[in-house]
Amino acid sequence: MNDTAGPRRRVDVGRVAHRVAVALLVVYLVVPFLWMVVYSVYPSENLRSSPMSFAPTDLTLAKYGELFGDSGFVRSMTNSVVVGVATTVICMLLGSLAAYSISRFRFRGSQTLLLAMMTVQAIPAIVLAVPLFVLMRDFGLYDSLTGLVLTYAAFILPLVIWMMVSFFDSIPVNLERAARIDGCSHLGVLRRVVIPLSGPGFAATAIFAFITAWSDFFLAKILTGPNAETLPVRTAAFQGLFATDYTAAATAGVITALPVLALALVAQRWIVQGITEGAVKG
Amino acid sequence: MLGRTTLSAVERKDRRFAIFAATPAGLTIAALFLYPLVYAFVLSLYELNDKRPEATRVVGLANYVRLLGDDAFLASLARTGVFCLFTVFGGVAFAVGMGVLLNQRFRGRAVARVLLLVPWAVPPVVNGIMWKLIFDGTYGVANSILMTLGIVDRPVQWLAVPDLTLGVLIFAEVWKLTPFLALMTIASLQSIPANIYRAASIDGAGSWQRFWRMTLPNLRGTIMFLLIVQSMWSIKVFDSIYVLTGGSGGPAGATTTVNFLAYLTTFSYLDRGYGASMSIAIMVIVILVAAFWVLLLGRRDKETRR
Repeated sequence: MNDTAGPRRRVDVGRVAHRVAVALLVVYLVVPFLWMVVYSVYPSENLRSSPMSFAPTDLTLAKYGELFGDSGFVRSMTNSVVVGVATTVICMLLGSLAAYSISRFRFRGSQTLLLAMMTVQAIPAIVLAVPLFVLMRDFGLYDSLTGLVLTYAAFILPLVIWMMVSFFDSIPVNLERAARIDGCSHLGVLRRVVIPLSGPGFAATAIFAFITAWSDFFLAKILTGPNAETLPVRTAAFQGLFATDYTAAATAGVITALPVLALALVAQRWIVQGITEGAVKG
Repeated sequence: MLGRTTLSAVERKDRRFAIFAATPAGLTIAALFLYPLVYAFVLSLYELNDKRPEATRVVGLANYVRLLGDDAFLASLARTGVFCLFTVFGGVAFAVGMGVLLNQRFRGRAVARVLLLVPWAVPPVVNGIMWKLIFDGTYGVANSILMTLGIVDRPVQWLAVPDLTLGVLIFAEVWKLTPFLALMTIASLQSIPANIYRAASIDGAGSWQRFWRMTLPNLRGTIMFLLIVQSMWSIKVFDSIYVLTGGSGGPAGATTTVNFLAYLTTFSYLDRGYGASMSIAIMVIVILVAAFWVLLLGRRDKETRR
């Protein structure tokens, strides 16, 4: 935590050990995923031969082409994008309204409500699986994108509200008072003052919501069939093909992971800031 | 506009807005979270097996009594205990280690920290696929490496031997979940004022001593938070078990944790009522575990402050 303290010695064993440990850690964090990428661009035969053969001339994107040409797989991709975006928009819209209300008006029961938001995080999805399935079936929403989006919204909203309340709490109310006196409505204040001021927190929360919706497997597996199936459900099915087609499984894995991975890395500054300001208190 | 209205009118308006603003989110959560929760509880009071729908009847708390004498359930609880022992204690210790490691000054620190987001962003299903590729018994690279190094002379059947499969599962979960906890650790480490370390090292405290006497006590609140979060994640683990074991929780049930058993009971054995009671039991366990950490570490916190 602090080789700022104390003078540097000539050959600092601790320093060398530290750098080695960091290098190992970086390899540990990154290589498993990169390995899957490597698998996705070589024919299965290369990976089954012993020793494995990684001749650059064998490099191929054939499996990507194959999957992008598979209408079922492409539909699951579109589904994932639609569900991810729609869930995020709904969560941020309803979530920031509710969070603003809890943060600013402190109505009776608002603290209990906030506590409840945290408690629902403890509820495993399996508890709700059958009831949700029955509910969706009765409303004709089984295997529909609408049903999935609504379900995700309900699961992700508590976390969104929890995070947004902590960001809103850190914004001084004086600015809002000024805007109110200038004739701004509550909604106007929220839209023009509060949300812009909580920018990084807002962005981080939206990314959390998107990644959670995109990555879910369990609920999607239970609430969808061939029509509204999402990428994780489709990709999970590839594990059955392991004996025959490594490359397809690896390729589906890369396609499922890449969008959220890219999003996380592009938005890393907001995410890290969001964690620092919001998530950990104490 | 504000000048002419009375205060109470403004307050009333505020209240109306507050209720209006919280309603849509509240309704969504109530309809798709609270209602199903109540439904699940009611379901747990029924004997309802889709294989024998004609035998459906209300049995009250009998399903919960059945849980206590169900060897499969108790075995899955023990398995979950082992899994949690490694992923929670091992995982949080590892996360704090990573956090401390990446909190020191060195070139490339920012990049190393960002890379902690890689496992976090990889969807759990993909995480399962990834480790299944690596630990495949016939063609996996784990075996290639071990054989090249001469540690084993035959391929190890990682995903066919019960204990090894559980080991792979633990390894996969720790890889995915702990780096994010490390990020939280770093966030909290940065709030420890640097000058207390400076003072300590002037007083002759070694780095080991500084870690035990200053860093850890300052991290107590964060560690409690990490233990709670990781316990919840560990008890609820599902996706990677599904992918690693082809949806079976095998071999020989070795990776059937309580959560997975509840899934199998509900969706494979179609024993919906009993499955519901099992899920509710898991929920209670999760809440008890979280409360346990809060009481344990929360109380000690007060003692040290006194």
